[in-house]
Amino acid sequence: MTETMIPPTDAGEPQESKPGTLSRIRAYWESWTGRILALREDQFFLVLAILIGVFSGLAVVCFRVAIEWTQLELLGPSLSPSITRVLIAPTIGGLVVGVLVLRVFPSSQGSGVNRTKAAVFIWDGYVPFETVIGKFITCAIAIGSGQSLGPEDPSLQMGAGIASKIGRSLNLSQEKIRLIAPVGAAAGLAAAFNAPISAVLFVIEEVIGVWSGGVLAAMVLAAVASVVTMRSFLGADALFRVPELRVVRAEDLLAYAVLGVVGGAASIAFLKWIAYARPRIERLPYWTKYLQPAAAGLLIGAIGIRLPQVMGAGYSIIDQALHGQFTWKLLLVLAALKILATGISFLSGTPGGMFAPALFIGAMLGGAVGTVEQNLFTGLSGTVGTFALVGMGTFFAGFLRIPITSVFMVIELSGNYTAILPVLISTMVAYFISRSFQEVPLFDMIARQDGMVLPSIEEQREQVAPVVEKAMQRDAAIVYGASESVASALSRAEGKPDLPILMQHRREWRLLDRAQLKRLVEEKSRSYTVADSDGKGPLPILFPDLTLEDALQVVADWPVLPVVNRADLSKLEGIITLADILRAFRNARAE
Amino acid sequence: MGERPKTSGNSVRGARGFSRELVLVVCFLSLIALLGATAFVSRMYHKRVHTLADQWFEQGETDYNAGDAKKALIDYRNALVFSPSNKVFQFHLASALAANGQLPEARAYLLPLLSDSPGSGEINLALARIAAHQSKMQDAMLYYNSAIYGEWPDQPIEMRWNVRRELCEFLLSRGASSQAEPALVALADNTPDDDIDKQKAAGKLLLAGQLWNRALDEYRSVLAKNRNDADALEGAGTAAYNLGYYSQAVNFLGRLPRDRSADPKISTLLETSRLVEASDPFLEGLSIRDKARRTVDALNVAETRAHACMGAGSASSPAGAPHSELGDLLATAQQAGTDWSVTNLIREPDRINTAMDLVFRIENAAEGPCGEPTGEDRALWLIGRSVGNNHP
Repeated sequence: MTETMIPPTDAGEPQESKPGTLSRIRAYWESWTGRILALREDQFFLVLAILIGVFSGLAVVCFRVAIEWTQLELLGPSLSPSITRVLIAPTIGGLVVGVLVLRVFPSSQGSGVNRTKAAVFIWDGYVPFETVIGKFITCAIAIGSGQSLGPEDPSLQMGAGIASKIGRSLNLSQEKIRLIAPVGAAAGLAAAFNAPISAVLFVIEEVIGVWSGGVLAAMVLAAVASVVTMRSFLGADALFRVPELRVVRAEDLLAYAVLGVVGGAASIAFLKWIAYARPRIERLPYWTKYLQPAAAGLLIGAIGIRLPQVMGAGYSIIDQALHGQFTWKLLLVLAALKILATGISFLSGTPGGMFAPALFIGAMLGGAVGTVEQNLFTGLSGTVGTFALVGMGTFFAGFLRIPITSVFMVIELSGNYTAILPVLISTMVAYFISRSFQEVPLFDMIARQDGMVLPSIEEQREQVAPVVEKAMQRDAAIVYGASESVASALSRAEGKPDLPILMQHRREWRLLDRAQLKRLVEEKSRSYTVADSDGKGPLPILFPDLTLEDALQVVADWPVLPVVNRADLSKLEGIITLADILRAFRNARAE
Repeated sequence: MGERPKTSGNSVRGARGFSRELVLVVCFLSLIALLGATAFVSRMYHKRVHTLADQWFEQGETDYNAGDAKKALIDYRNALVFSPSNKVFQFHLASALAANGQLPEARAYLLPLLSDSPGSGEINLALARIAAHQSKMQDAMLYYNSAIYGEWPDQPIEMRWNVRRELCEFLLSRGASSQAEPALVALADNTPDDDIDKQKAAGKLLLAGQLWNRALDEYRSVLAKNRNDADALEGAGTAAYNLGYYSQAVNFLGRLPRDRSADPKISTLLETSRLVEASDPFLEGLSIRDKARRTVDALNVAETRAHACMGAGSASSPAGAPHSELGDLLATAQQAGTDWSVTNLIREPDRINTAMDLVFRIENAAEGPCGEPTGEDRALWLIGRSVGNNHP
C-alpha cells in the first residue's frame, strides 16, 4: 500500500494524508453495517430470511448425514440387516432417546409443527435453541436406529428454532420475531423435502394460515436459500426417482378416484387409532415414558425381522415402489405394517415426523391399488409408478389434511404436470372422506390432547366471514335527491316517522335530520331544496359483500350507514347500524 | 411496517445488550464455521458412502458373473441405496432384474436411463431383450435396431454384429422370416471376412433363414481359408443340397470326417445327393446311352413306387382321386413300356424328356397319399423339382 506523506510539520513528525489500512477497514465496516442496518426493518427481514435459509440448509444437511450415519453404524450397510441388529438397534436407540428426551432435552418432545404454531400464536415467536440441539440428537438416534419416523418435522422445528434465535439476537420487533419462526420452519422443511414450494405452502396452510405478502416473500427466500445450500452438499437429486408418467385418459380418472377412497379410508383408520390410543398412553405412569421408545423400538424391530422396509424413513423403499418392484400383496402388507410401526413410534413419544411415513404408506397403497386395477382393467394407461406417486399425495392429503400442499408436493417431487389431474381427483376424494369421518385434523387433535388451544387453520379456512348483506336492512330508509324541495320531501316522509332520511347528491350520501327539515319549511320558504339543509356527512359507504368486521371499523361513528351498489354508487341497497352488525354476529355464532 | 431501528445510528442493541453489528458478525462467523464443519462432515460421509456403494457393486458383479442373479440383485440394490443416481449401478441392477425374470421392474429402471442416453447401445439392447422375452415384436425390433445403430463404448463393431446376430436369432425363433431376411442379409454383409467363427455363425443363421445362396457363399469363404472345416463343409453341403447343387453337396458332405457324416441327417443328405447324381439323366456329360438307361431305371423305380402306393392305398382306404390319378399315370407308363426301352430312347432321345416327365408326375402324385418319398424315389422327386425350377 502506498501512503502519501506530507512534508514534516513543525514538530518534525510525518503525517498521513490518506487513511491507513485499519482506517480503511473501519470505513468499509461502517459503510457496510450502515447500509445493512439502515434498511427498513421489513427489508432487513428479507435479508435475514436468506441468512436463516442458509443456516437451516446447513443444519438439515448435518441432520440428514447424522441420521444416515447413525443408521449405517447401528443397522449396518445392507437393506436387509441381521436379526440381532434389527432387534437391538431400535431398542437401545429408543432407550437412549427416552432418557435424552425426558432428562436432557424436554423441549424436543411433541410435534414440531404444533410447537412452531405455538411459537407464533402463544410464545411470541420464541422457540428455545435447546430444541434445535435436542431435536437434532434425539431424532438422529431415533430415525437412524430404525424407528418408523421421518426427518421433515424435526427439520421444520430446527429451522424455526434457528430463525427464532437469530431474530431474538438481533432484537427485531415483536411482530417480526413472531413471524420469523415460520420463515425458519419453511426453510427447514424445504431443505428436508428438497421441495421449496411445498414447504412454503405447508407452512402457510398449516402453521400461519394467512397469505401475507411480507412473510410469503421471506419464506420463499428462506426456502430457496436452504434448498440451494442443501443441494450444494447433498446433490440436486430428488428424494426418490420418479418413473415415466403417462398421459391419463378421462376414463382412468375413475381409477384414481378409487385410490382416493382407499387412501381416505386408510388415513381415517390411522387418525382414529392415534386419536384413541394417544390419551390412553399419556395416562400411563410417568416412569413408563422412559421405556416407551425402547418398547416401540423392540416392536418395530420384530416387524423388521421379516420386513426391514418398514424401518426408518423409507425413502429407498418408496423409490422401489415407484418402480413397480413389489407385488400388490407385499405393497398392502407394507402399507399396513408401516401404519402400525409409525403409530407405535409416534405414540411412544419418540421424537420424529410423520411426513415420510405418510408418503411411504401412500406410495404403497397407491402401488397396490394401481396393480390390482391394472390386473382387473387391462386398458388402464397409468403405470404402477404413477399410482404410487399419486398415492403419496392422496394419503398425505387425507392424513395431514393439507390438500393444496399435497397436490403441489406431488408435482414438485415428480417435476411433471402429467399427473396433475389424477392427483387432484385422488387427493380431493381422500381429503373429503377424511373430513367427513374425522372432525379434527391431526395437528389440531394433538394440540388439544396436549392442552394447547391453538387456532385450527382448517377451521379458519372453512369459516365464511359474515358479510354486510346478511346484516343490512333493505327498504328501511327514505332517500331524497338533492334537488327535491323540502316540502315535497317532508310530505313523502309523512307516515314513516322511524325511517332515517338520506340525501344522495352526486356520489355523496348525507343523513338528514327530520326536525331540521321541518324547521326549514316553517321558518323560511317552502321553495328550499333538500340540498339547503345541513345533513351529517358525507357518510362512509359500504358494499353488500364487505365483511362485518370491515363495517364495524366505520359504523361506530354514525347512527346509520348506506350500503350501495358497487356498480352504481347512487343506488342504495340497504342501510346498516351497529345494532344490525352485532345482531348478525350473534346469529352467525348461533348457526 | 417500515419502522426503523429503534436506537439512533447504526447501533441497535440486542436483548443481551449486544449491538446488531456484533450479532451479525457473530452470525457470519458462525455461518463460515458451520459451512466448514458441514463440508467436512459431508465429505467424510460421501467418502464412506461411495466406498460402501463400490463394495456392494463389486460384490454384485462377482455374484452376477458367477450366475447368481438373485444375490447380485440384492447387492446392486444395496449399492444403489448409497448411490441412488449412479447410472451404471442402475443399469446393472436392471440387468440382474431381467436375468431374474423381473422384467417390468427391469424395464422401469431402463426407461429413465434410455431417456437420459437414447443412443446407448447397451440400454437399447437390454430393453430389446426384455421386449423379446415379453414377445413384444415391434418394441424388440425397435430397440434391437437402436442398439445396432447406437453407441458402444468398447468394441463397437463387434457389439453391433452381436446385436444383429441376436436380432436374427430372435426373428427366426418367432418364425418372422420376412422380417428376418433383411436382418440376415445385413448380418452377412457385416460379417468380417477374416473371422471364421463369425462367418460360420452367420452361415448357420442364413441356413435357418433358408437364404441358401448367401449361406453357401459364407461357407465357401470359410472353406477357402480352411478347406477341411467340418462346420463349413456341413453348412455348405446343406446349402448346396437345398439349392439343388447335388454334385457340390456330395463334394462337401463327402469330405466330412466320419463322425460328422455318421449323423443321420447328414448321411441322409449325402445318400440322397449321391442317388440324385446317380439317377439324374439330365446331367451334363452323360452319353445318350447312359441317359436312356437312367430314364428306363427311373421309370421302373416310379412304377414300383406307384404299385406300392396304390397297394397300400387300396388296403387302407377305397380308391380316391389321388389314387385314380396315380393309376392313370401308371397305366400310361405301362402302355408306353416297350416304346421307352433303352434302344428306342437312344434312337429317339426326345422321348427321354417325355418319359422323365411321366416319372416326375408319378412321384409327385404318390407324394400326396403316400408321404414324402425316400431313397431313389426321393432322388427322382428332387430331380423333378430341380427340373421344374429350371424349366418353368
